Amino acid sequence: MKQLEEFLTGRTWLRNFIPFPKELVDKAISTGAISVSQGMLDGRQCARCLEKSKQKIIPFLCARCNGICYYCRHCIKMGRISSCTELITWALPSTISPQSHSFHWNGNLTPLQEKASLEVQNSLSQKNDHLVYAVCGAGKTELLFPSIFDALKKGQRVCIAAPRTDVVLELSPRLRTVFPNTIVHSLYGNSPEEPGFAQLVLATTHQLYRFKDAFDVMIVDEADAFPYSYDPALKRAVIKAKKKEAPIIYVSATPSDQLIKQVSNTSKIFQRFHGYPLPVPEFRSLWGYEKDIAKGRIPSKLMAWVDDKIAKEQPFLLFFPSIELIEQAIVLFQKKHPSIEAVHSQDEDRKEKIMKLRQRQIPGVLTSTILERGITITNVQVAVVGADQPIFDAAALIQISGRTGRSKDYPDGEIVFFHNGIVRQMDKAKKLIVSYNEGAGI
Amino acid sequence: MNCYLCDRMTSSQVSWRSIFFNELEEVICLRCRAGFERTAVGCPLCSAPGEGKCLNCSQWETTEYAGVIDSGKSLYRYNHAMKEFLHQYKFLKDVVLSEVFASVLKEECGKQNSVIVPIPMNAVKLKERTFPQVDRLLDAASIPYTHCLGKNEVGLGEKSKSERMALQDVFWWNGQAVPEKILLFDDLYTTGSTMRLAAKVLKEKGAKEIKILALIRA
Repeated sequence: MKQLEEFLTGRTWLRNFIPFPKELVDKAISTGAISVSQGMLDGRQCARCLEKSKQKIIPFLCARCNGICYYCRHCIKMGRISSCTELITWALPSTISPQSHSFHWNGNLTPLQEKASLEVQNSLSQKNDHLVYAVCGAGKTELLFPSIFDALKKGQRVCIAAPRTDVVLELSPRLRTVFPNTIVHSLYGNSPEEPGFAQLVLATTHQLYRFKDAFDVMIVDEADAFPYSYDPALKRAVIKAKKKEAPIIYVSATPSDQLIKQVSNTSKIFQRFHGYPLPVPEFRSLWGYEKDIAKGRIPSKLMAWVDDKIAKEQPFLLFFPSIELIEQAIVLFQKKHPSIEAVHSQDEDRKEKIMKLRQRQIPGVLTSTILERGITITNVQVAVVGADQPIFDAAALIQISGRTGRSKDYPDGEIVFFHNGIVRQMDKAKKLIVSYNEGAGI
Repeated sequence: MNCYLCDRMTSSQVSWRSIFFNELEEVICLRCRAGFERTAVGCPLCSAPGEGKCLNCSQWETTEYAGVIDSGKSLYRYNHAMKEFLHQYKFLKDVVLSEVFASVLKEECGKQNSVIVPIPMNAVKLKERTFPQVDRLLDAASIPYTHCLGKNEVGLGEKSKSERMALQDVFWWNGQAVPEKILLFDDLYTTGSTMRLAAKVLKEKGAKEIKILALIRA
């Protein structure tokens, strides 16, 4: 029963999908330890992800009920929610005994990080929301360590939510090292089950659907990133997963104007932790690249850039606007350099390929916007093919540029925007990066 | 609209043909569509690759099920994309995915003069799944069909082939008039036992010619 309590505290789970014996669950329900609720709220809204659009909430003739039921397509990958399914959650006050925590980190915060760190702690103590607006490579995660440690010591449950699996995977080993005695769970699509009650949860925003009134501190990392910024369901999930009074700490290098306006307490850090300026993107024309690639030709300027990185043995990331273009281009690149790899959101070997790039087993990777943030590769050189395409808005371009020069041993790096005509978002990205560099001393 | 499978935006293609000829709306994007692999010419019963009757079907022809199927075909191979599709449709119960193959099925069944009989679902299994996935594939394409069979509570999935061949009573006649010419339809053809067990019952109840159609040949 203890394991069931640890698993189900703060969570909302499909009754039929819970990894515990049915008899145990039924018994807990009969004693009132577990409460049961309907899968659909008011008939037409998913009780787990709170989706209610007609495109995602679908009526069908249900053979179980012999009538019309609605099901939710939005969160269907977590097991289908329909009108006649039930969600369960732990209903009793927690009897889980407090854990002891230790904090192992021998890095130093820069004065700017230190200031922001104190401001965050201050907001948390007053239960105010807070925005950390800090450039890529400012050391955002590190400055949160003291606040996280504080909260853990108080017995509070902390969540760090990031929009993408890649970011969770990058954060997970770092936090487990820093808080070695804390039970940490990392949750993303198909993540392995971990035992115990996690006081520190790292999760993709999607996984928050499965929590309710669970967290005392909610940190939303990369608060502007797709799909979080485009998906209102994920915003609702953040609110649902935390306790009502719990403050939200938003962390972003490219917050939207709306977020800046919405959160009154803000810390700004426009300088990287190593003190060097952000590499500024260079614009290079690449006329008709789509036609060239479709005809089976990599434009010579682009091939020259790749050849140069390979000759210098510098790892590189080459961003593309669409999966289709990646699939056409990778074949052409591999004719000349067979060990180049390609990744995109639907690629199951993504983790392994990035690892290979990090370990210098492969020279470079063609990628969709999936790798625009969260990843750090020492001395990486970056180019964007089709930087004029709408998928690359200013925030995405700033994040992509932010992959370069992150290590203090290689604080510089090349960032090239290959384009078919300069567009406003490219200009905006470059101007903002230059302004951060100019403001860095202040 | 967004593609039913990858959820990316598809440019909705409203063409004059779609307005005047009442064509079915495309619910998945071209990239996802390209992931599915059509069968080529193969076994005249099940479309398994190769020339002439496949080994599996030839073996069936040495048993008491010889001749119960007169001809047949499958439309798609069981590749990675199809595995994912079936997982989402049958296991995750994403009912709308019944529309994905509607236009292909409509084309296939439209030029047909047999009565279409879908492989039925067992009543308990149907309650579990909440929808009859084989019927829904036909419904999505507005293809009329008749049920002539019922199914007993035996999951074929866990049985070995020899055990399956021994199963006589999986299907029973439900009392509906059995047409002379039948097109027996199922979603997935694996060993061929489901189709043959059903076809045998139908032939015993008066069917003269039985063709089979499976969406997928595993």
